Amino acid sequence: MTVSVGQDEHRRRFQGAPHLPQPIRLIARSFNHFRIVEMKERNTNSTLRRILVNCAAQAKEYGGCVAAKVPEIERDMCLKEFLALKNCMQNTRKGEGFELGMSSKASSSQLSVSSSGSGGLSHVYIQHPPLRSNVLGSRGLFYDDGNKLLISPTSDQVFSWKTAPFDPHVAPTSDSISEGPVLSIRYSLDAKIIAVQRSSKEIQFFHSETGQNFGYKCKPESESMLGFFWTDCPLCDFVLVKTSGLDFLACDVESKSLQLVETKKLNVSWYVYTHESRLVLLASGMQCKTFSGFQLSSAGIVRLPKFEMVMAKSEANSKPVLAVEDVCIATIYGRIYCLQIDRVAMLLHSYRFYRDAVVQQGSLPIYSSKIAVSVVDNVLLIHQVDAKVVILYDIFADSRAPISAPLPLLFRGFPRSNTSSSRSTAKVSESPEANITDSEAIIYGDDWTFLVPDLICDVSNKLLWKIHLDLEAISASSSEVPSVLEFLQRRKLEASKAKQLCLAITRNVILERRPVLTVAKAIDVLVMSYSQSLKTGSYLKGIKAEKTSHSGGTQIGIPRSGAHASTGEVGVHGTSTKHQSSALGDNESLNRSLHFSTSDSEDNTQVKSLNTNPKVNMEKLSGGAESSSTEVHTSSSQSEHLGPSNSPLNVSVSERQESQLTSPAISPDEMYSFVFAPVQEEIVGDPSYLVAIIVEFLRSASSEKIKVQPNIYVLTIQLLAHNERYAELSLFIINKVLEPSKEVAMQLLESGRQNSHVRKLGLDMLRQLSLHHDYMLQLVQDGYYLEALRYARKHKVVTVRPSLFLEAALASTDSQLLAAVLRFFSDFTPGFKNTSDCHTYYRILNEMNSGVAV
Amino acid sequence: MGLTSANSGGSEGMQLCIFDLRRGQQEGQELDKILFFFPADLPFSNQLSVIGLSEGLITFTRIFSPEAACEVIEAERHSHVFYEAEPDIWMVMVVEKSKEAEAIWRVGALRAVLKEIHSLFMMFHGSVREMLEKEPSGGQIRAHLYPFVMDYLSACQNRSPLDYCCWDFLVGKKIQLPSFRDCLKECGTVQMLTVGREAAIEVQSLARVLESGAGATTPCYSLILFQDLLVSTTLSPDDTINLFAYAVQRLTPRALSSGVSSWSYLRRGNTPDLVAGLTFATVSVSEQLHHLHAPSPSQDNSNHVKRPLQHNRWSKEKDGFLVTDIWGREMGSLIPATPTIWLRQTGERMYLCAYQYKSLTLILLVPLSSILNGEQGVSLVKKQVLENASLKTLKVEEKLSKGWGGENAYHVSGYRYLLIDDDRNVSRASPPVKVTTLAKESLLAMSKLREEVDLEKSRAKWDSADHDKDLEICIRAKNNAWVVARTTRGKELYMVLEKADETLLYASDAIERFSNRVPLLASSRAVALGGLPIRVIVNEILSRQIPSIAIM
Repeated sequence: MTVSVGQDEHRRRFQGAPHLPQPIRLIARSFNHFRIVEMKERNTNSTLRRILVNCAAQAKEYGGCVAAKVPEIERDMCLKEFLALKNCMQNTRKGEGFELGMSSKASSSQLSVSSSGSGGLSHVYIQHPPLRSNVLGSRGLFYDDGNKLLISPTSDQVFSWKTAPFDPHVAPTSDSISEGPVLSIRYSLDAKIIAVQRSSKEIQFFHSETGQNFGYKCKPESESMLGFFWTDCPLCDFVLVKTSGLDFLACDVESKSLQLVETKKLNVSWYVYTHESRLVLLASGMQCKTFSGFQLSSAGIVRLPKFEMVMAKSEANSKPVLAVEDVCIATIYGRIYCLQIDRVAMLLHSYRFYRDAVVQQGSLPIYSSKIAVSVVDNVLLIHQVDAKVVILYDIFADSRAPISAPLPLLFRGFPRSNTSSSRSTAKVSESPEANITDSEAIIYGDDWTFLVPDLICDVSNKLLWKIHLDLEAISASSSEVPSVLEFLQRRKLEASKAKQLCLAITRNVILERRPVLTVAKAIDVLVMSYSQSLKTGSYLKGIKAEKTSHSGGTQIGIPRSGAHASTGEVGVHGTSTKHQSSALGDNESLNRSLHFSTSDSEDNTQVKSLNTNPKVNMEKLSGGAESSSTEVHTSSSQSEHLGPSNSPLNVSVSERQESQLTSPAISPDEMYSFVFAPVQEEIVGDPSYLVAIIVEFLRSASSEKIKVQPNIYVLTIQLLAHNERYAELSLFIINKVLEPSKEVAMQLLESGRQNSHVRKLGLDMLRQLSLHHDYMLQLVQDGYYLEALRYARKHKVVTVRPSLFLEAALASTDSQLLAAVLRFFSDFTPGFKNTSDCHTYYRILNEMNSGVAV
Repeated sequence: MGLTSANSGGSEGMQLCIFDLRRGQQEGQELDKILFFFPADLPFSNQLSVIGLSEGLITFTRIFSPEAACEVIEAERHSHVFYEAEPDIWMVMVVEKSKEAEAIWRVGALRAVLKEIHSLFMMFHGSVREMLEKEPSGGQIRAHLYPFVMDYLSACQNRSPLDYCCWDFLVGKKIQLPSFRDCLKECGTVQMLTVGREAAIEVQSLARVLESGAGATTPCYSLILFQDLLVSTTLSPDDTINLFAYAVQRLTPRALSSGVSSWSYLRRGNTPDLVAGLTFATVSVSEQLHHLHAPSPSQDNSNHVKRPLQHNRWSKEKDGFLVTDIWGREMGSLIPATPTIWLRQTGERMYLCAYQYKSLTLILLVPLSSILNGEQGVSLVKKQVLENASLKTLKVEEKLSKGWGGENAYHVSGYRYLLIDDDRNVSRASPPVKVTTLAKESLLAMSKLREEVDLEKSRAKWDSADHDKDLEICIRAKNNAWVVARTTRGKELYMVLEKADETLLYASDAIERFSNRVPLLASSRAVALGGLPIRVIVNEILSRQIPSIAIM
């Protein structure tokens, strides 16, 4: 019963009024939550207790009064106080019956809301099933972000699961290592060597194929290892972080040894590294707030300027120490940020890294003492772990406002047949609260470790979750259409979904007849995004050869897209047609390689600019990072594509294909077929609103120099002609607001059946386009035979049959006309004199003339 | 003819009357027919004789052509130009054929004047018939027509060189009707600014935002002008022509600036003695005469007569909106009432809001029916226009000024031309300053030629309404200038080539080159006109048109 109500509620919210302003919902939710807690208390406590609690102040007053006057007790001694207490108690009891009724009512509605409704109120979710890494004798879980592997070592073996692409059913691979403690473990980037940190002094290396092993120890007693990572920097393969600094080592498998290439002497308290950014940050100083950084990209090693992080002081003399868990590196839109939690100020400071500077970028408020950060599809997720909510930020523009209100992480797709939680999950399928019985699914459990960028590891249950954005919910939560569209257009991970949402939103906005300016802004967003994607897409021309070798096995879509390009419109952007076609193919399997190569190309150009121009101020460090990471990037994007499609079991094939779209950009053609055409069918009455919207679209497209398909023009003509706004129509045509094309001309001729001026416009357009044959046919149809013939002579059109003219001339019963036509063909068409037509019509002409003479 | 007496009135050989054939059919009530007569001081007997003759001719010609009675009568010393404005409401203009060379009229142009007077009257006051039905005594219509036509005929300022249109005919004391010197102008057409695609889209976008921003449930309309040229319209062609004509004369920056100095708030009262008082000493007489006909409380009535054609009554407010007190003021306030006009096509009454930014004039028409609380609602609409459109207005103005080639932008050196697109009622001509450089002979020849083409056109219209005739006439004027007329499929081109070579071939080539250059018709002309039969008649016009087929 409860379930059905809940689902209805859920459905209503998504289908019904999607533009309910967010704040209202937020309040509703927090209120509900609060009430639940209160209710439970009320049920467990006695009435008397509640009365005492409620009237504590009065009771205290009375008590105090009596106590002060004892022992001289007399009647009406503390009457005033007594009356107050009595009054309070009576009121409480009286109100109770009433309140109980209320609360029971509230509770019923509450249950439905809280159990499933509030479950739907979420913008981020994790999808069941998780990746289970249960191995007998496991000695903990490790995450190797260089290879995106979840590693579980046992006494003599190492099990590793690929997390990219995320597949919960992936089988682990195992490698054997020797017995011993494992402090940290990472595979080399070619996955051949396993490095295992045995102690703070020693690292052991195992060759995964040959089983050979060798060790490396740090020599001086004074220093100890903090950690290590593999790198693809050309200088070295392996970086060891020690308390005394960094050691860059080259690994030589043949000689089973590591050569020290370079050392950076530094005092290091702790360090942070992500392979994604190739950036290692080393903390030093008393408060650990002084940082040095190195970026070890394939372009070389870049040393960042030393910088200090800001920390608020709780008291004048206190010196808080920055802990390793308070700092994290986030890669968003290819830029590298460092996020630092300031527990005293309750702020999350962000710093952006440039090649020669670190610039503080402002701070975000936090509401929990424990904070975790994830990045999903370039959206920054700040988990307020204590409050069990997550806040989303889209750090693209300068705005630091969250995308949406704090809402919990949703646990989605919990199967009914799950034995461990049959009772509650059967009842409620989509609820964080309902999973309390399931130890596996405690949201923000104590053992949750947040892995870079978008994974959650439940260490105690040995589960790995992938975080997903619920784009639908996010877009439904805001009524600011342009900003929602902007947000959706930036989403690469679920591009197809984002695209569908964008189209639906645009359609709705038009159908709701929002002010033209609002719709214009929304359209601007879409068109600009499309133009942007064209520009980046056009990069791929130069490096096609490299791309094909690079993308190797994944390029299923390429021949397809080629066909698209050839069938597509006459490209204005010769280089971009391909991209366009990829955007067009909605549920075609699209070539993933295209996307990779796009990023490749960007990277390559950026590398070049870095190399040739190493001293450019404020050169983006991220550029370097990306350039170095092309290979990994491809794999990561691969994971992004396959991730969502693989996680749920019930995803259909078509959905899987759709999710491979690389960009949510919407081409003008799609704009037509998914927005204007459907809207035109639904919109009733005066079409001037729709015409206004189309004009805005044309304006937007022309300012971005994007070619618009004739079908939109045709639609506009239909709209205007249907409402007999011929004057406007001719203004549109004459000013070329509707660009000339054969389709447009034909539509004008069609609409011109009602209005001869419009027909003339169509004819003129045919002539301007040099569509001689069509033009002449139309002239003949209209009875302008001689003009048609003159035109034929001038432009040497020979495709129109003479008989057409002759028949028409004969039908006019004008012998002069017939004579003129005959003469024309005799003079200008070679061989006409010998045709039967010629003879027939000469005879007819003679008869006509003789008839006149008689 | 009995008309010679008409001339004795002492006015400049022109008479203009409006009368209703349905009225005054009884003996002795003939005066009832007259709705308007100029000059007003002409004795009634003379007025009646003019109208009587006209009526007789109309009745007679109707026997042969019931749908279109006579259009013009050429007498020895006068031309009578007829125009049936509304069923049985006739406008007749009698012009003297004087020995003076200047007084050579083209009938088509005169008829266009009559037509324009009536169209504008309709726009501001509704139809004559309607008003007569409302108030059968005729006092009201007379009280409206008289100041209106007089305002139309009167002119206080010199005509500027850019002045395309044909109204304001009273220059000094002399009524200036469109003469042969105006043969390269076309009344009742719209002059358009040629804009590039990008600018055109911006303009359209502005127009749509304007209309949608008004928040009305019924459709609004808009007209956008740059300088004195039309850029965009969403009105029907008829309404566009009327409003355009009015805007160019009274609302555009040039029209406004010419009147700024004489504008005074002291003159805000609509006192009847201001009726064209400057030029007509006889006004008071005529007023009295008209009031004699009108049994209605004349004084009150005339106080309420709006005179939208009055000069110098529009001014620009600080917020950019143009205001006038012609429509009176809101009760108990100083805010001038918003003007209202009637649309020809829909018959709707609309508020007229004009907004001006630099050279850009935006005219927004909002249906009266969609604004419930009168002036308050209008000011709300204005506020919304400012909010929504001001940014776009800025952008459009900038774009258009960038592409604006100045007053002589459409001058094509070596040519004096007039291009008319009959389908769209659009014309484009050489700048008037350039036309004045032409010799009188050329202009006379052109005027004659146009007369011929007009005739041919109207003949063709009766032959086959939907089939345009092609026609090309090249003549050589006395001064050896080539005067050319071409019509093709609804488009007309008139051209004078004074410095042309001797041969016709040269002239033909020149026309071809021209067709390629002028953007209004541009390519379409070039192709469409190519190879048309050419007939040359040196020094004289052959009135007969040669069917194009003959030379094929």
